[in-house]
Amino acid sequence: MARYIAQRAIAFIPTVLGISLLVFFAIRMIPGDAITAMLGTEAGMLTANQRAALEEYFGLDKPLYEQYLSWLGNLLQGDMGYSVRHGQPVLDVILARFPVTLELAVMAVLIALAIGLTFGVLSAIFHNSPLDLLGQLFALIGLAAPNFLIGTLIIYVLSVYFGILPNAGNYVELTEDPVRNLQQLIFPAITLGFAFSASVMRMTRSAMLEVLGQDYIRTARSKGLKERTILRRHALRNALIPIVTLVGVETGYLLGGTVIVEEIFTLPGIGRLTYNAISQRDYALIQGVTLFIAMNFVVINLIVDFVYTLLDPRISYAKQH
Amino acid sequence: MRSAKFLSVSLIVLVALIFGAIVPASAQDGDNILIMARAADTTGLDPHLQTAFASLRLLELIYEPLVNLDADLNLVPALAESWEFSEDATQLTFKLREGVTFHDGSDMTSADVKASLERILDEETGAATRANLTSIETIDTPDDYTVVLNLNTPDVPLVSALATVNAVILSSDVIENGDPTTDVIGTGPFMLEEWIPEERTILTANPNWWDEGPFVDGIEMRVIPDEASILAALRAGEIDFALLNDPLVATLLIDDPNVELNRAPAIAYHVFQLNAARPPLDILEVRQAISCAIDRQAVLDTAALGEGKVTGPLTIPAYELPLDEYFCYEQDVELARQLMEEAGYADGFEMTIIAASAEPPTALAEAQTIQAQLAEINIQAEIEPLELSVYVDRWLAADFDAAVALNGGRSDPYSMYVRYWTSDGNLATVAGYGDETLDRLMREGRVETDPEARFEIFAEFQRHLVEMAPWVWLYTDYEYTAQQPYVEGFVPMPTDSIYSLAKVTLER
Amino acid sequence: MQNNIKTLDIPKKEPGFARRLLRSPSGVVGILIITFYLAVAVAGALGLTPHSPLEQNRLERLKPPSQVYRMGTDLYGRDVASRIMDGATNSLRVALASVFLSGTVGTLLGAISGFFGGLVDQIIMRVMDVFFAFPAILLALLVVVVLGPGLNNTILAIAVVYTPIFARVARGPTLSVREMDYVTSARCVGASDTRILLRHVLPNILPPLIVQVSLALSWSLLTEAGLSFLGLGTRPPQASWGVMLSESRALAEMAPWLMIYPGLAIMLGVLGFNLLGDGLRDVLDPRLRGKR
Repeated sequence: MARYIAQRAIAFIPTVLGISLLVFFAIRMIPGDAITAMLGTEAGMLTANQRAALEEYFGLDKPLYEQYLSWLGNLLQGDMGYSVRHGQPVLDVILARFPVTLELAVMAVLIALAIGLTFGVLSAIFHNSPLDLLGQLFALIGLAAPNFLIGTLIIYVLSVYFGILPNAGNYVELTEDPVRNLQQLIFPAITLGFAFSASVMRMTRSAMLEVLGQDYIRTARSKGLKERTILRRHALRNALIPIVTLVGVETGYLLGGTVIVEEIFTLPGIGRLTYNAISQRDYALIQGVTLFIAMNFVVINLIVDFVYTLLDPRISYAKQH
Repeated sequence: MRSAKFLSVSLIVLVALIFGAIVPASAQDGDNILIMARAADTTGLDPHLQTAFASLRLLELIYEPLVNLDADLNLVPALAESWEFSEDATQLTFKLREGVTFHDGSDMTSADVKASLERILDEETGAATRANLTSIETIDTPDDYTVVLNLNTPDVPLVSALATVNAVILSSDVIENGDPTTDVIGTGPFMLEEWIPEERTILTANPNWWDEGPFVDGIEMRVIPDEASILAALRAGEIDFALLNDPLVATLLIDDPNVELNRAPAIAYHVFQLNAARPPLDILEVRQAISCAIDRQAVLDTAALGEGKVTGPLTIPAYELPLDEYFCYEQDVELARQLMEEAGYADGFEMTIIAASAEPPTALAEAQTIQAQLAEINIQAEIEPLELSVYVDRWLAADFDAAVALNGGRSDPYSMYVRYWTSDGNLATVAGYGDETLDRLMREGRVETDPEARFEIFAEFQRHLVEMAPWVWLYTDYEYTAQQPYVEGFVPMPTDSIYSLAKVTLER
Repeated sequence: MQNNIKTLDIPKKEPGFARRLLRSPSGVVGILIITFYLAVAVAGALGLTPHSPLEQNRLERLKPPSQVYRMGTDLYGRDVASRIMDGATNSLRVALASVFLSGTVGTLLGAISGFFGGLVDQIIMRVMDVFFAFPAILLALLVVVVLGPGLNNTILAIAVVYTPIFARVARGPTLSVREMDYVTSARCVGASDTRILLRHVLPNILPPLIVQVSLALSWSLLTEAGLSFLGLGTRPPQASWGVMLSESRALAEMAPWLMIYPGLAIMLGVLGFNLLGDGLRDVLDPRLRGKR
């Protein structure tokens, strides 16, 4: 198993290099640099000497390949560089904002699983009943509604009809004030989890229906096992495999930060960090965040693979194909 | 069934969380901190370097210049008690205020003023405002509280050029031995306690401030990127004070019984810039036709819901002219068509308008309205919305046919327009047009000290500018701030300055 | 052996397919919605809208829905209903074009990768991984910021993000199809690789791809809206549902119809594509299972 992990991690190295190259050069292709981002139109008031001085200050004066190599060199030593806008090391900036995104992602996924699995199972059991149809309708709405629409509506209702706004720019960490923190995250988590819960519900329902009709279930039934046990032991477990895949994909997506939801709900997460970094042409930060998100991806894939082995003993990574 | 139980429990937890969140937060305790929200955050802490409005709003509470502006745009003493030009206006002497201390306890003296100004003038610093201070040749400090600026040319507007956050006085100690980017030591009413970029800034009151105040113990500036959320926060009573940029959002507060909306007519101006270097915009009649075809009031009504007023080139109240003195300020499509015919473009032409999406929030609305109006004289305009820095890049390179812009104003007409309308102005290429008359009037305006004569000079300047139509001036809108009723003493400024927060009280 | 080939080669125009699709309720609803949308889009493209979607009318600004303006007017006095129809044209164009682009390129890459294996496979998949691991929004943002806004660049941005997904979806089935008897026998007969790819592999990996197409279509509708929301999508004054939604936010309190109608339009479109995908999956899956 450990070998498998190591192999997967190593196989990802060229990908990481590829990403770093891609983002390094892509962001420098965008017109405007950190100086125009900082000064705006006032940048036109600079003399040539002043501009040169500022370029040196921002590290923009060296040739591109040199910039890339020195960045890569530092990276291999664990130094992701310095964010010009934040005035702090890139890694610190990212780690300061990652907990929000992580917590939000976890909550959204849990909510989606709670709602999705429940209704998915119920829908499958009571196949073609009014409950089933209702569940399917709910799922369809969840899939189709853009999350910023839901988010905007939620905030409007909260502020106008309830007169409250849990997060008015004063986000608190989970460790500082757990109650308040949960209050601030519950609605954005619902907004994000809503769409995902629809996918989970549909996937659960169809996977369960499929599995319920298969041979080994009939065998179990003929053996006389109780319906409940059948459901629990076989159907749900096997239905979970594709769901685990979905969870992996969705978590990876959520950990990349969801800019729009973070903006609407004023959460200082990775999404807004990335978006602002692009606007500010904070090259080191953009590069750092991209790699960080890509690494999350690897970790999640590994976790998903591991969970597969738990769910289906037939899957094992000891054998290579 | 275990799974069923687990799932139903989690659903119950979810519902409980939702209801828990709806319970209103505990009422604000009586602490005397002003909680403020705005959509954009400071971009950096070096006051000589940072030019973004959002940065200036923070730095003006921490640092102070020699002179300041009041609500009527008159120059008032700040760190300088008085100033005087020599007979020929080539020497400017400042008498400094005594007993001013920096946040680190050291005294403010002429040495600090000299060091600060020299730092700005040093090209290595990269201070954009240097371009406004190039008349300063040398600086003398005959005693601790006198500063003499020796100028290489008479420069009356120099005093107002110093009335900006970009010309504030830093401690000479910090300049020599420290780093202004991180050592934030000013003389202002508030001291910086903490800055978490893109999140919040905490300021504490300066107990040793030279003026009366501040009357709050501190300010918490929060970044709420979405103005609709700022609105929600105001309504929910979660914040005391807010800066608003989008007229469409601000207008929702006009009739709100619980929140007060402040409007100050701004000196920043919305303008439709033409690039007279690009044919056929190099033809005077074509530009004039465009000027006549545009209904400025309609643009104002659509883009800003009428919140503002149509303006000529100068937005300083003391220099404004009645609009009917300008060429074609009433929409005249007939005349426009005639002019196009005279120019040989009765069938029109194509052009592109660049606009920064969301900067200002009204930009795209202005562009679309103008586009429809230009279609009436057969000009097919295409709109190119650009991300802000991309827009700035193109704008600085004058790489556009036309641009929708919101340009900053200044308290002095010379300072405001020298960069665009003189042949060696820093942004002359961006302006795309120049002529002898403008150069001459600018030169005269720079040295004229008599206010009435100055008014005449710049009146002629404006009329000529509108007639030559290199740009089409549209309107000025309001600088919006909003507050809870218990916030007293705030004075809105046309410059958007929030310096008066130093005098604000919370009457809860 | 002959039997296998007959059963497994699924020509798309087989009458049984369409009939089967119509028997699935999701499929029917999906087809109905999409057909309706296509009709609206065509009408919009032909200019058969109640009013001009671009004509500004100063006196009729921000009017609620009425007899004359069925869905109200916007900030410029433009008819929302006409703009929704015009938006249908643009939004659907973006969806169809971007999915077509990413679908063809991605499928080809995935099929080639799975079919040839070895170094080719490694290289292609590594490159696809790079784009796959790249955060989607960031990738789309970068493409649009570098190239500028506008319909065509939005199409490109969405296509770039979605190509690796198609590649992955195509590669899996290709791996199993290439071990199939009919492929081996085609090789024995001396068929060229290209011929095998086109004649035997591609048709047999179509089912999951078709489903993926419908998912991609719905996703691209949402992404176009999201990009426009961030100010980087369609150029004004062109109407797209995303632009209409983002313009509506500041005015949502004064004029809720500005948000409701484009929102419903997007939702219905996404719904339609998803239902169609469901229907297709119902039809095609049994076929898939039969192969084992």
